[in-house]
Amino acid sequence: MSGAVARGGMSAGSPAREAARLARMRRRRAWSVAGWVLCGIGFGMLGLAMGWILLMVLVRGITALTPTVFLEVTQGTGGGLLNAIEGTLVIGVGSMILAVPFGVAAGLYAAQFSHTMFARAIRFMADVLVGVPSIVLGYFGYVTMVEGLGWKFSLAAACITIAILCLPYICRTTELALSQVPAAMQEAAFALGAGEGLVAWRIALPVAMPGVLTGILLAFAISVGETAPLIYTAGWSSYMWNGALVGSPVGYLTYAIWAFINEPFASANALAYAAAFLVTVIVLLISVTARLVLLRREGAR
Amino acid sequence: MTAKIAIRNLDFFYGSHQALRGVTLDFPERQVTALIGPSGCGKSTLLRCLNRMYDLYPGQRATGEAMMDGMNIIGPGVDVDLLRSRIGMVFQRPTPFPMSVRENIAFGVRLHERPSRAEMEERVEWALTRAALWDEVKDRLAAPATGLSGGQQQRLCIARTIAVKPEVILLDEPTSALDPISTLKVEELIDELKRDFTIAMVTHNMQQAARVADQVAFFYLGEMVEVADAGTMFTAPREKRTQDYITGRFG
Amino acid sequence: MSFRRVLAVFAGVLPASLIAVLLFLAVYSWPAVRFNGIGFVTSTSWNLGNTYGSPILRNGVQVLPGAHYGILFLIAGTLLSTVIALLIAVPVGVGAAIFLAEAVPGWMRQWLSFFVELLAAVPSVVFGLWGYAVLVPLLGHFIYPAMGHVLGFIPFLGGSTGSGYGLLTAGIVLSLMIVPLIAATLRDAILAEPMVVRESAAALGATRFEAVWKVVLPGVRKILIGVTILATGRALGETMAVLMVSGNALNYLPPNIYSPISTMAAFIVSQLDSALQDPTGLAVRSLAEVALVLSVISIGVNTLARLVLYRSGLKAGQV
Repeated sequence: MSGAVARGGMSAGSPAREAARLARMRRRRAWSVAGWVLCGIGFGMLGLAMGWILLMVLVRGITALTPTVFLEVTQGTGGGLLNAIEGTLVIGVGSMILAVPFGVAAGLYAAQFSHTMFARAIRFMADVLVGVPSIVLGYFGYVTMVEGLGWKFSLAAACITIAILCLPYICRTTELALSQVPAAMQEAAFALGAGEGLVAWRIALPVAMPGVLTGILLAFAISVGETAPLIYTAGWSSYMWNGALVGSPVGYLTYAIWAFINEPFASANALAYAAAFLVTVIVLLISVTARLVLLRREGAR
Repeated sequence: MTAKIAIRNLDFFYGSHQALRGVTLDFPERQVTALIGPSGCGKSTLLRCLNRMYDLYPGQRATGEAMMDGMNIIGPGVDVDLLRSRIGMVFQRPTPFPMSVRENIAFGVRLHERPSRAEMEERVEWALTRAALWDEVKDRLAAPATGLSGGQQQRLCIARTIAVKPEVILLDEPTSALDPISTLKVEELIDELKRDFTIAMVTHNMQQAARVADQVAFFYLGEMVEVADAGTMFTAPREKRTQDYITGRFG
Repeated sequence: MSFRRVLAVFAGVLPASLIAVLLFLAVYSWPAVRFNGIGFVTSTSWNLGNTYGSPILRNGVQVLPGAHYGILFLIAGTLLSTVIALLIAVPVGVGAAIFLAEAVPGWMRQWLSFFVELLAAVPSVVFGLWGYAVLVPLLGHFIYPAMGHVLGFIPFLGGSTGSGYGLLTAGIVLSLMIVPLIAATLRDAILAEPMVVRESAAALGATRFEAVWKVVLPGVRKILIGVTILATGRALGETMAVLMVSGNALNYLPPNIYSPISTMAAFIVSQLDSALQDPTGLAVRSLAEVALVLSVISIGVNTLARLVLYRSGLKAGQV
């Protein structure tokens, strides 16, 4: 039977076989090295692009960042960005006020009653809603609220549109955070006679709170970085927000990036870079914070 | 009996923790050597020295000698990938690759050789037959290997290993995840395979060691306590610790 | 009312919003759908007609004389830019994922991964700004002329190399926006594959790279496919970055990859002002039809991606 080993080739351990394998090994090793190098190049390209973008935003942004940017409103193609900074924050906070109760409720329902038809529908719809391009939501907001309801470009139209955009993200992160709450903890509360509502409010939600807050923070970052839906709903204003919910447009930072980089004036371009700097720094700071919260939670477990 | 692999004074370290101390042991050619001992005694570690599996992990290192055909396996300058084509290994849990049954066998062969289509077909059949699996899978060679039963998967892993035509096969508790019937099949297979291959196996199962091994080595706390042929080991062990272990007093 | 009922009412806002958006778009664009017919997606002509002429009645819809709406050029621009983005992003993403998961030590992996994930957080308009201010001049003045010179004999790579605004530039910027998604998801999938899989391949004599490339990667192929489809959905609906670098071509199919294009999403932004000039409102409704077509494609792609990812065992919310 030991002859069977030799069938279909040279016998094990024979010098000829070892030589052939060694030659093949050399070629394979060369391919492997090439493979690693290509993977490194892939990462390098990604890192290079990232570094390049950040560097551009930081360098050109910082040189454009004067006190005027923070102290004055936009005047024509110059001035400052105070109106846009205020607008971005007001829109962000406003859309969070609208989105958080509904988004958290949807996530809570999907997690606590996860096997019901309605929970499944929520999960599916949330995934579908993530897939709807933001410009489509903006167009929807334009046709229904700006035109249909006659609100004109307004804070209300902007906030509602961004809130719809953020709903699925808040819902999904809430659900994920809740799904990591130990079942035994909730069962213990049920065993003491606590109702569904009490368990959800007093046990599940507080335990999952860091995760929920992280989701809300990330949704806020999305609202700060969005542009397309706001062009159709908030419009643009060179003045400070007048406190009205409908009827008057609102300025915001991302519009300044898009619109002012196209202007043939250096003052306008500087404002665009200043706005890009502010938006990027805000968004990245939020991302870093959210990441650190998650890391600390994982480390604690 | 000539030794296929001769280990002399082998020490092994996981970082600063020493897992093996001064192990000296011969693996006779075309025989089954079983390594037994309580968990954490270093028997799996020894197995992983023989094919340099520890090279995958930074911080793990071995010193000493493990000679095979005049080459020190654990010494510097060894072509580790080629070494592993001569010393195959089967793991505790079946690890079929995410591809068809045929491709699972062909994968290893193709690493080292350039067989024609017909040669490859022949090799696949040969390996599966040797692993006592051919009759069960010959009609589903193109099906995903993950669809096989646990016992079949483990025999596929053995077939995959012998398809490369190694000289030594390392078995790391090859039946611990299998049901009794599959275990029996694998044991019969091991008995059959030792005609062509030198086999080193780790097992927790005393009866298994008694059934399939020619030589048995007992490990305790990183040291090789005793080695003897299977009959002597289980009837008249020299050391008290060995006797306590095989009669079930600890471990 | 019980807690569950109250919660359901609040939770219902999410599904209700989605249904409202889609239903409204469908209803609102209905006159345009009726007027435009199938020619909407098979012809290339976005023409408001004579905005000074008096509206006439056609197909039961008030239209301007000479009005015709066909968005084949938008569909082509959208699909082509997405394909180019994928051709770049998938290999780069796979390479970066393997590099992060297998080639760097643990402590470094965390920081490098973090860096990659930050890229995913950078807003679209900032990518657009970089594309506009850095990439377009660089490509338009140096790279494209050189490419056209050297590779001009290959179809679609020759001809006028243009100004830097166009299909390839849009594809490059889009690819940068989706690479982090692919790289991060795949990296996690590779790291989640048990070590014994790599050991099994190594035990047969495979090099470390062969183990990763031929065994670990096939094991996560479903996740790779799923996340690629997901990335496709992102690229299809991306607006601002494309708007700023694509050249916003109107009514023409790109003759080569340097040529200006427009995509459905970018077109909706760039054409609103002019569409409002149509007193019959048909132009605005036709834009709604563009939004509807885009939504249907995006939702279809996204649902497919979720199906693949669910089946690969990836938990919801992880991507």
